[in-house]
Amino acid sequence: MVLLRAFLFSDVGRLLMVKRIEVGLLFSRSGTYALISESCRAGALKAIERVNARPDARIEIVPVERDPGGNVDRYAPLAEDILRDTGARHIIGCITSWSRKEVIPALEKHGGMLWYPAPYEGFEASENVVYMHACPNQHILPLLAYVVPRFGSRAFLVGSNYIWGWETNRIARDLIGDAGGTVLGERYLAMGDEDVGRIVEDIRIQRPNFILNNFVGATSYAFLRAYAELGRQDPWFQPGTCPLISCNISEAELPAIGGNGEGHLSVGPYFDGVPGGKDEGLDSSFMASAYSAVSILAEMLDGETPAGGAMDFAGRRFRTPLGQIAIDPATRHAHLPVRIARIHDGRFDVVEESAACLAPDPYLSRYDPMTAFGRPGLRVVS
Amino acid sequence: MTARRIPILGGAHAVILHRPHDVVEALARQLTAIGLTAEQAWPEVPASAVRADFLFFDADMGFDDQFPWKPGAAPMPTIALIGSEAPGRIEWALSHSANAQLLKPVGSAGVYSSLLIARQTFEQNKALEAKVASLRERISQRETIVRAVAALAQAGGSQEAGFARLRSLAMDSRLTMEEAAQRVLAYRETDMERADRQVTK
Repeated sequence: MVLLRAFLFSDVGRLLMVKRIEVGLLFSRSGTYALISESCRAGALKAIERVNARPDARIEIVPVERDPGGNVDRYAPLAEDILRDTGARHIIGCITSWSRKEVIPALEKHGGMLWYPAPYEGFEASENVVYMHACPNQHILPLLAYVVPRFGSRAFLVGSNYIWGWETNRIARDLIGDAGGTVLGERYLAMGDEDVGRIVEDIRIQRPNFILNNFVGATSYAFLRAYAELGRQDPWFQPGTCPLISCNISEAELPAIGGNGEGHLSVGPYFDGVPGGKDEGLDSSFMASAYSAVSILAEMLDGETPAGGAMDFAGRRFRTPLGQIAIDPATRHAHLPVRIARIHDGRFDVVEESAACLAPDPYLSRYDPMTAFGRPGLRVVS
Repeated sequence: MTARRIPILGGAHAVILHRPHDVVEALARQLTAIGLTAEQAWPEVPASAVRADFLFFDADMGFDDQFPWKPGAAPMPTIALIGSEAPGRIEWALSHSANAQLLKPVGSAGVYSSLLIARQTFEQNKALEAKVASLRERISQRETIVRAVAALAQAGGSQEAGFARLRSLAMDSRLTMEEAAQRVLAYRETDMERADRQVTK
């Protein structure tokens, strides 16, 4: 008996007691949004390393990686691959909504769970997805509530030609209408397209108060470059009078954006320098969300719930770099802090943040123009 | 008029007319996630359901007597929950003019779109019914118009003049042609009665 106890508490014993759990990582290491997915991947790997290094850990996470290479058609087969051919039931992955929607049928078929670390346009609550980044009431709504009173309500909307751009701009159009503003234009470019000249020219003619930038990857970088040039020609288009505002630009993309981002605004649950993630070296909300996904997953798997069992988030709170957060059991979306930040000297300065975590409202079913913009929506009464 | 584009479903109430089953649980879970409250009932539609915003009903086991209204006359948008695709069951669901359908088993997807489709179809149907009723009413008034034009033609000299007079009367008093025609005839009748009374005096 004594011998057995000594054995169990020895290193070897601990190693034998530790349960190895495979977890899928499905991030594109190349392609137009590789900077974002690399940031997520790095966050997930950091968290895995941290979980495995805990001296009292009863689990060891073994990453199972697949790389779709930025090709949307590769996501579903690779998710299927992970769920069918390995022991992994959980996948941390996907950046675009397009790829997430591709993966969901495979998750449903195999009973898998996707931990999704990117902001998205809402109007979804899959039982096979945990939404770890912001949904509309946590990004576009507070962003517009900040921008409209400060810069004006004449907006120009741009985006990549798929669901994230379409739906976020559609919500923005409604919100701007409720704020008493107007949308001067709404333009789209195919993902990866860098031919932004005509859109920038249109913006020059329309002279909006701000531009909502829902471009992704290379298109976004080209747009920021062309807009900075426009600002040099015409002071109206300086960020102090007409900023670009975004729900998805983070530190992860600053290397590609360079000085062209100076003065522009973004929203997210986390920016580099927020105390919660400093020690871990987490430098973007994407990295922090992927990191938090792994640490919550590890806590769930390590807890009393048998591994692989249903995820019961009711009544639980988790200490993460995003703060003490809960996962809404009804929608599996994270309660998140909201932070608005301005790019200054190559980093983000937080200019406003929510006092507490904001409960997710993916269907905007609690949206009220009165509280959002301090004025009632314009309703036609006839 | 610009319609609000963010569909407001928060706070809406849905009744699920289905025997206790996994389908009910999955559906209620998804409705809660979307922001609605949900209530299960079987076999009868509860009195409280009359004020519900949506009714999901089971197409597999459903029957006419469950509903306190005639087939197709539900006072709220309805969504058929279809499991068996037997033609008889589909036919029954169709007889109740479901505004949308949802296939069983119910998963995370499909519930939200069924709500939006049902609501829009229901409202379109209501608008269409109101339009048909008003057209019916107008057709039934054809004779009134003919008689009013004839009466006005006596004074104006021709049918064209009578018709033009009726139209300007309708426009001036912001009435439909049918309403104006009714007034002309009513006026004429009281006029004739007065004349009758004078004659018999």
